[in-house]
Amino acid sequence: MLQMSEKPAKVGAVLVVGSGIAGIQASLDLAESGYYVYLVEKNSAIGGIMPALDKTFPTNDCSMCILSPKLVDCGRHLNVNTITNTEVLDIQGEPGNFKVTLKQKARYVDPTKCTGCGSCSEQCPVKVPDEFNQRLNNRKAIYKLYAQAFPNAYAIDPTKCLRMKKPKACGKCLQACQAGAIDHTMTDQIMEIEVGSVILCPGFEKFDSSQLAYYGYGKHPNVVTSMEFERLLSASGPFGGHLQRPSDGKEPHKIAWIQCVGSRNCRIDRGYCSSVCCMYAIKEAEIAKEHSPYPLETAIFFMDMRTYGKDFEQYYHKAEHEVGVRFIRSRVYEIVEAGDGSGNCRIRYADDAGNITYEDFDLAVLSIGLDPPADMIELAGKLGIKLNKYNFCQSAPLTGVGTNRPGIFVAGAFSSPRDIPETVMQASAAAADSAAGLAEVRSTLTKIKEYPSEIDVAGEIVRTGVFVCHCGINIGSVVNVPSVAEYARTLPTVVFATDNLYTCSQDTSAQIKDAIREHNLNRVIVASCSPRTHEPMFQETLKEAGLNPNLFEMTNIRDQCSWVHMHEPEKATEKAKDLVKMAVYRAALLEPISSVSLDMNHDALVIGGGVSGMTSAVNLSKQGYKVFLVEKADVLGGTANRIRYGMNGEDIPAFVSNLINQVTTDEKITVYTGVEISDVHGFVGNFETTISSGEVLKHGVTIIATGADEYKPTEYLYGQNDRVITLLEMEALLAEVDNKVRDAKNIVFIQCVGSREPERPYCSRICCTKSIKQALLVKEANPEANVYVLYRDIRTYAFYEELYTEARRKGIIFIRYELDNKPVVEAADNGLKVTVTDHVLGIPIEIEADLVALASAVMSPRENNSKLSQFYKVPLNQDGFFLEAHMKLRPVDFGTDGVFMCGLAHGPKNLEENVNQAKAAVGRACTVLAKNTITVEGKSAFVNKNKCTGCGECENVCPAKAVQVDPEQRVAVVNDALCKGCGACASSCRCGAINIKGCTNQQLVAMLDAL
Amino acid sequence: MSKLAEQIKGAAKKLLTEKKVDLVVGFTEGSLPLRGTPFFARTPEEADQLTWNLDCENNLANYLRKKPGKVAVVAKGCDVRSIVALIKENQLNRDNLYIIGVPCRGMIDRRKVAELLSGQEVLAIEENGDTLVIKGNNSSVTAKVADLLHNSCRDCSYGNPVIYDELIGELLPEKEAADFNEIKAFEAKTTAERRAFMNSEFSKCIRCYACRNACPMCYCEECFVDCNQPEWIGKSAYNVEDNILFQVVRVFHLAGRCVDCGACERACPMGINLRLLTRKTVKDVKELFNAEAGVNLEDKPVLATFTNDDPEAFLLKE
Amino acid sequence: MEYEPKIVAFLCNWCSYAGADLAGIGRIQYPPNIRVIRVPCSGRINPLFIIKALRLGADAVLTSG
Repeated sequence: MLQMSEKPAKVGAVLVVGSGIAGIQASLDLAESGYYVYLVEKNSAIGGIMPALDKTFPTNDCSMCILSPKLVDCGRHLNVNTITNTEVLDIQGEPGNFKVTLKQKARYVDPTKCTGCGSCSEQCPVKVPDEFNQRLNNRKAIYKLYAQAFPNAYAIDPTKCLRMKKPKACGKCLQACQAGAIDHTMTDQIMEIEVGSVILCPGFEKFDSSQLAYYGYGKHPNVVTSMEFERLLSASGPFGGHLQRPSDGKEPHKIAWIQCVGSRNCRIDRGYCSSVCCMYAIKEAEIAKEHSPYPLETAIFFMDMRTYGKDFEQYYHKAEHEVGVRFIRSRVYEIVEAGDGSGNCRIRYADDAGNITYEDFDLAVLSIGLDPPADMIELAGKLGIKLNKYNFCQSAPLTGVGTNRPGIFVAGAFSSPRDIPETVMQASAAAADSAAGLAEVRSTLTKIKEYPSEIDVAGEIVRTGVFVCHCGINIGSVVNVPSVAEYARTLPTVVFATDNLYTCSQDTSAQIKDAIREHNLNRVIVASCSPRTHEPMFQETLKEAGLNPNLFEMTNIRDQCSWVHMHEPEKATEKAKDLVKMAVYRAALLEPISSVSLDMNHDALVIGGGVSGMTSAVNLSKQGYKVFLVEKADVLGGTANRIRYGMNGEDIPAFVSNLINQVTTDEKITVYTGVEISDVHGFVGNFETTISSGEVLKHGVTIIATGADEYKPTEYLYGQNDRVITLLEMEALLAEVDNKVRDAKNIVFIQCVGSREPERPYCSRICCTKSIKQALLVKEANPEANVYVLYRDIRTYAFYEELYTEARRKGIIFIRYELDNKPVVEAADNGLKVTVTDHVLGIPIEIEADLVALASAVMSPRENNSKLSQFYKVPLNQDGFFLEAHMKLRPVDFGTDGVFMCGLAHGPKNLEENVNQAKAAVGRACTVLAKNTITVEGKSAFVNKNKCTGCGECENVCPAKAVQVDPEQRVAVVNDALCKGCGACASSCRCGAINIKGCTNQQLVAMLDAL
Repeated sequence: MSKLAEQIKGAAKKLLTEKKVDLVVGFTEGSLPLRGTPFFARTPEEADQLTWNLDCENNLANYLRKKPGKVAVVAKGCDVRSIVALIKENQLNRDNLYIIGVPCRGMIDRRKVAELLSGQEVLAIEENGDTLVIKGNNSSVTAKVADLLHNSCRDCSYGNPVIYDELIGELLPEKEAADFNEIKAFEAKTTAERRAFMNSEFSKCIRCYACRNACPMCYCEECFVDCNQPEWIGKSAYNVEDNILFQVVRVFHLAGRCVDCGACERACPMGINLRLLTRKTVKDVKELFNAEAGVNLEDKPVLATFTNDDPEAFLLKE
Repeated sequence: MEYEPKIVAFLCNWCSYAGADLAGIGRIQYPPNIRVIRVPCSGRINPLFIIKALRLGADAVLTSG
């Protein structure tokens, strides 16, 4: 017999640890790309930190509003197995084949039975400080983590529940729960699962500010943390969004934020910058001002304002100059009680010039930093995952998402403090990298649900069935549910109506199916809770019964009726009847909608052959997709060809040449150099791009990775004196240990050259770190040299702060200048004279410089970008960089489906971050490429050709670019693949020629007619 | 004027003879004075009947849609603005259109003339530079042209065609934009007063839809008012509410598109002050978005374009 | 009898309708005079809907998105 030595087959599943926004994004990307996902969360619901935030910078979107669609998508996804209350005990095995041991703690509530109605919690006598609300108020021992939580199910806190302590002591919840979901005898479970790769995204912990006694937290009641302040602002917070001091309920008129609490502090082992606090403090100050009906004074005490992200500098500028937030560059020594009986906080600080002074505030908010998650330290030890000295994950160099252990990836704040968009990006990148190793087992474990064939209802008499829900006592105790059902029976088309205790329970679902069969129902109406949470479930029931899911209509008589009219049962019942009538009238006009399938081309086009583009191409190829890589220049490599040193000392030329080698030898990648895009047709799944050589490339997705330029300064004698150079030019001198560096006595770096100025108001992000990195290299090559860095704010975010600390320790001199008093560079005998006004001394200092390095801006190639912007119908921002679909949650997507971006084309970023984003673009692109066809729900716009005049109004208003006027026929044509069904076209069409399937003018007016 | 008429005839004949166009749309003399009538010349001989007078008031842009072949049009300032607006809405193909632009100082309003003659029939009109001699049965009145212009012409600052292929006559000096005093006065009224005014004005409406038919921008295949599924508003003229809503929605549909030619008001047999509504939107669009309809081929449709500095005046913010 | 206005509200599924749900979860009490119509986007609200609602006797129309 032949001995077969075979590697065990890989597993087409991925474990995602932690279900904050990173975990959710990674799970969704993977599940949509053909992998089965186990999403493990230690809490009783997914969501992480985002649900607790009020608004998000820089768009000031409501955090929950933008998150909840993702929560729902993730929670309902057939291929995401969400396992809550669970910790990872161990991971054994190798890439492609890991065995994971999980421990699921008892929830004491069966989430498949719990309807989330909350009756149990109302009856529970035990009050417990609510962690979600930062302990500012109480919850019960049986609780739901937050209102919109998924799973929408309660959990019992065993340490607080009376019955858990003494079985006879209580049991009120058991009586209240009419669904029989509560079971105090549940026990913890150990589970084993098999996965091909692992993504760690456990997030971060809040810095405990009581460690720093001088800020008075825990002692002085009017010192709160920034997380507490988020809850104070939130409409779902402890005070319903009324801004008040938690101590005495007084409305604050003057609030201070103290930056860097638990960050940039070597004495307490937090030598890193937490990266997000400057922005969230500005946001909180802005939102607080918006909230208060009276003039509110706000002040932010800071050292360096680190608004380095995309559009952040503009946000800062607006806060200071338009919103009127006061920014005080200072060192805060302590916060004490004002001592005048007001309870106010007295903040003692040294101002910019070193003068010690104080100011009183009603409330002080500590901008607390991000700590690594404590429970990961043990697990990392067990798994052999390397942590850095602060116990954050030590990611593998220039991978963006790699750990030291192959097959295990990291995303989110656990890799280093970062904000939401960067977390989302990294999550998509981790999805891409973890899928890259599993391409051969893609779609082997994912499930597809089969349904019976659909009953043809065309031409049938409308037969409506109405199901009215009691929701335990949630609806039934206010609305007279049986009378609503009875009323429904009197309505036209209704042939069946009944009331149920819980319409959403398993047994009622069977009853609905029976009723459909028995009464030949061809329209189904459920009057219960919110369609936002339950409509997909009921539609599923219809599909299982062979009815088209769009023959369903739902009306909300709980959240928008019984719960909000609790003291007016009669009027609430009248309203419920009206709502049912409206639903019945509308339902009569509903028609089946069939989903639309279009062919899908599985090749990808990557525009730009720099590090971002090449990284995308390589990763796409690993996923098994063919790639066209188009580069305008004659060589690959882009800007990275001019970079020698990574921010952490990596050898960039070796990295780039390796990447070029991979790209050029990969059979799946076709490289085109020296060509540009000259024309584009088509849409997602079916693009046809013509390149300047005349060749037409057919592809399903496009990744724009066109990079950026270095600003050529016109200031500081650049171009006139060869001793004045840019950082990229300096990079070359350093690599060659040029005489200019070796023999220099004084070298000056000037920051913000062409950035943060009216013409280019954004921060170029990378220059502070790069300058300091170079300054240190100068010191290495020429220890005798004096190195000066002239700056406005030092923005060495995250662990780059360590470089700043090192630079100061090594004697590099940092001098801050003001925008209105910039340094002056003049030619002098044998060199240059740089004059700068020192911010502490307030007097001009003259430096005889041998070399001046200008940190010049990262600039968008505007013309090139605007051409691509028109070709692919994607927008640019005011600075000429590509503008993503959503600044927060869709950082590499465009509103136009099938087009993605990465790298400097999106905005200034360092090489490692570009690698990250390049993989993220792949992660997102794979969600499209993995599909055999493009299938859309079909709730799209449709045109009545007889009425359409082809005026183009719909084309103008369509945000998805899904409608175009056919010039020959002079009628609008809808592309179902692109249409999102928003209906802006139908509302704008004067002729009434365009309508939305499932939401037609007739259907909506029928609801009005019912009133 | 007659000189212009001769030039128009000449231009039209040339175009038709050389077969550059299949049709010239212009004006011919009406059967009565002050009743200049749109005229379709398909042969050089027919072109002889073309004319140009102070009564060429119809907006000829209204006759150009769905005309096969190449069409030339004799177009004054407001006609050309409508043409521009229609080109932008894909209703006219610029390539198939030949614009014979005629700078226009305004057309005269026969209702104002009739008032001068105290209702007597007008038998003849003599043009005399800036003045007119109007002859009735046994009287004649001399009046300034400027005093007899249509209100829309009085307020018009686009007498010169904004685009053309051929210009007849000389371009007129720039005219300052008119004020919006009547609109401001209307806006200054109380809600109740405005309501009363609308009620009295629209109780006159007989739903003949002449306004809609005269308007070059009202080209829907089916007007919202004729739609049955759903029925948006009642169709009977007896209901003043519905009459008001008809006009309000019609005007709303014209917001940002109306070139203020006044065709609707001239067409109204009941003398309803329709321009008050259309001009209100002209004012609003000008004030809110600094835009005017049909003044160039480049401007994006104002109400279908979003910019970051949108005034968003309708939004109630938190 | 007291004046009981009838108010029709067109709410965007993604924000305002969700907000109305949240009001329920928070048990915020408000008068029961409102009848909500859920739309896929506030862009779906045809101005004619508002006119139609008023014409059919609604005392007020709320659009939110």
